[in-house]
Amino acid sequence: MSETESEARRLADDARERVRFEEEALDLADQVYRVARGLVSSKEEAEDLVQDTYARAFRSWRSFTPGTNLRAWLLRILTNLNIDRGRRVQRSPDMQSLEERDYYLYDRLEATSGAKDEERVIERLSQDDIVDALAEVPHDFRDVVVLVDIGDFSYADAAQILDIPVGTVMSRLHRGRRILKKELADVAVKD
Amino acid sequence: MAIDPCDWCEEVLQPFLDRELTDTEMREAEAHLDTCSYCRKRYRFEQSLRRYVRQIVEPMPLEMKARLADLRLEL
Repeated sequence: MSETESEARRLADDARERVRFEEEALDLADQVYRVARGLVSSKEEAEDLVQDTYARAFRSWRSFTPGTNLRAWLLRILTNLNIDRGRRVQRSPDMQSLEERDYYLYDRLEATSGAKDEERVIERLSQDDIVDALAEVPHDFRDVVVLVDIGDFSYADAAQILDIPVGTVMSRLHRGRRILKKELADVAVKD
Repeated sequence: MAIDPCDWCEEVLQPFLDRELTDTEMREAEAHLDTCSYCRKRYRFEQSLRRYVRQIVEPMPLEMKARLADLRLEL
């Protein structure tokens, strides 16, 4: 094979590999969008964030190692872009409030609705309440709650995406869910 | 002073649902839940809440995928 032929073959292989990468990445767009939508407060912001993520992913496709977790790789780009966009002004709360208990939300909803079983109590919550409450959760905690509870990522994947230890994922998840419930109680009881 | 069993059950709610408790702790929590409707209601509520939170996100707009595909670099 001549040098020109082998160069042509290399280029063709490269193009095929890139198209495969792009198709696989596009197949994951719904899942990437789900996480983006949980992380930011409006649909428009989520769409922008996903577009920026894909633009960057397509540009840097060579840095993805085939056979590794593409969904986690895309989400890592997304969470880093979200940090870059300066959405992290909020600080993590230092003190754990007494209201951040696991039964707090149920107790508040039951007390204010008079409902006596869990099915009636959950009907007090709307999807908008959850979106609004999630926006109030400090970013460090929200990232983990969104990745695990909405994005369905394992602790290990969330740790890899956010570049933090698995133990930190677990502690932020537990506390983040409690903060979410506290915020949800405030939002829902106000309605 | 012994810990109130309902306080303990509240403390382990998340690791219980995440299946992170040891077998002994799991059995202890289940035994308490069998007899305590106060905690049982709150555990069931938490399970429904998790399902509910999972569903909050509306699907990606249909035209968005085409917009993303347009971002691909030209070959």
